[in-house]
Amino acid sequence: MTALTVPLRVAATVPLSPTLRAFTLIPADGGLAPPSGPGAHLRLHLRSGGKLLRNAYSLTSNPEDRSHLSIIVRRVAASRGGSAFLHEEVAEGDVIEAGLPANLFPLVRTARKHLMVSGGIGLTPFLAYIAAFEAAGTPWELHHFCRPDERAVFEALLARLPASRVHIHCDMALGALEDALLRQPLGTHFYTCGPAALMEAGLALAQALGWPKVRLHSESFGGAAEGGAPFVAVLRRSGIEVAVGAETSLLAAMEAAGVDAPCLCRGGACGQCLIEVAEGEPEHRDHFLDEAERASNRLIMTCVSRSRTPRLVLEL
Amino acid sequence: MLVSDIKSRPVYERLGVDASGRRHLVVSDAPRPLAEVIDGADSAAAPLGYWVVAATSAVDAQPQAEPATGNAVPLERRAFRAVPHLLDRLSHRLAQETVGFRLYAVGEEGFVWNVAKLAREAGLEAAECRTAHAGSLRRRVFCVHCKTITEDVTTSLAACDGCGAHLVVRDHFSRHLAAFMGVQADAEAPGELPPVEELFP
Repeated sequence: MTALTVPLRVAATVPLSPTLRAFTLIPADGGLAPPSGPGAHLRLHLRSGGKLLRNAYSLTSNPEDRSHLSIIVRRVAASRGGSAFLHEEVAEGDVIEAGLPANLFPLVRTARKHLMVSGGIGLTPFLAYIAAFEAAGTPWELHHFCRPDERAVFEALLARLPASRVHIHCDMALGALEDALLRQPLGTHFYTCGPAALMEAGLALAQALGWPKVRLHSESFGGAAEGGAPFVAVLRRSGIEVAVGAETSLLAAMEAAGVDAPCLCRGGACGQCLIEVAEGEPEHRDHFLDEAERASNRLIMTCVSRSRTPRLVLEL
Repeated sequence: MLVSDIKSRPVYERLGVDASGRRHLVVSDAPRPLAEVIDGADSAAAPLGYWVVAATSAVDAQPQAEPATGNAVPLERRAFRAVPHLLDRLSHRLAQETVGFRLYAVGEEGFVWNVAKLAREAGLEAAECRTAHAGSLRRRVFCVHCKTITEDVTTSLAACDGCGAHLVVRDHFSRHLAAFMGVQADAEAPGELPPVEELFP
């Protein structure tokens, strides 16, 4: 099953800085925007220069408000084309096909308080979180790390929120974060999203200060799916061979070859894309299979995992 | 009839100080040597408190600091008159605590699961609150018919404090209620009761 898609119309696109642009999307056919939850992302199907890219962006809009979906896109220098396309070629009124919102970074509903640590564009899922916290009256605290030249951009995004809850830092000194981690009431959960170095430092600091892993949550932008040694996937039942390049995922390569492969979350979490392996040794990058299943080398999650062997034969 | 493989029956392991914690508190429903109830207390790297129920009016619950021995951190002892006295102070302590705290409860099951319930209500995760059994095996029994809890049950059948029904004490344990389920023994054949056995001394 290919994930369902929905056509979305660009209702507004606003530059926030030279590299950041906000998009407001509404269902092209009218009606309510598809449901989502805080931390969910939207995967846009972008047709640029003959290529089809499926880029995921965290939703920044309040999930309770079904009138529209909002995202903020950073134009990446080493762009595969998606962010440059969105920044330069997409205009108001354009229609973009998108997957239904999926959530690999849900918040913990039973938490008494939510402590969020973001870096740069990693703020985006927390904008949706904060909308939910403000609506429910749940205590929260945000520590946002960014470059000095972008401080004003993020201050503007957070301007309508209680100043006592928002802390913006323009250096990587984690002293302020240490203070925050030391004074959180029991029942607080910690979430981090941003550059890997910031997330790793924040998680390591929290653990060193006695935070158990069950309280720690991080979003990785799906980086796990990206890149690796090229290999050939042999689809035994379909009788075709698919070359998987260094920069593409197995699932994307199969889709590009016209194969209707099963998938849902595209982030290694849901297990929907599970395929039996007949020959070869998978390189597991998912969060779904347990250790015995991984060791058996009989199953692979095509959305994130790759191959250790030059050929991987799949029962597909 | 009672020996069962019901999965809700808690399984206990010996307590050990969780080295990742930043503050530790051990609570016991009877005065016991600390080394008897938990491993690693003398080498803990973070402050540790030990609260016990002394079951006497001769204690004042005031903190008694003990000097550190070797490289260990100070130990603070407090003795309480009764279980409710300790639980009352524990609620206040939990309300002021911060993430990094670890709680350990040792004693009879009714006590340790009351502590676990307070901890859960205060926002502690299971990984931050550990329990171990010590002392009598007597059970708190929840009557599934009238919802009354009968304390200190040592036998396979017990009369409910609330409705008087003869309850079979099951191994089915509720962490939410901190009690074992009791079900009317003669519901289908009134008056026909199995023999009473002393099972939970």
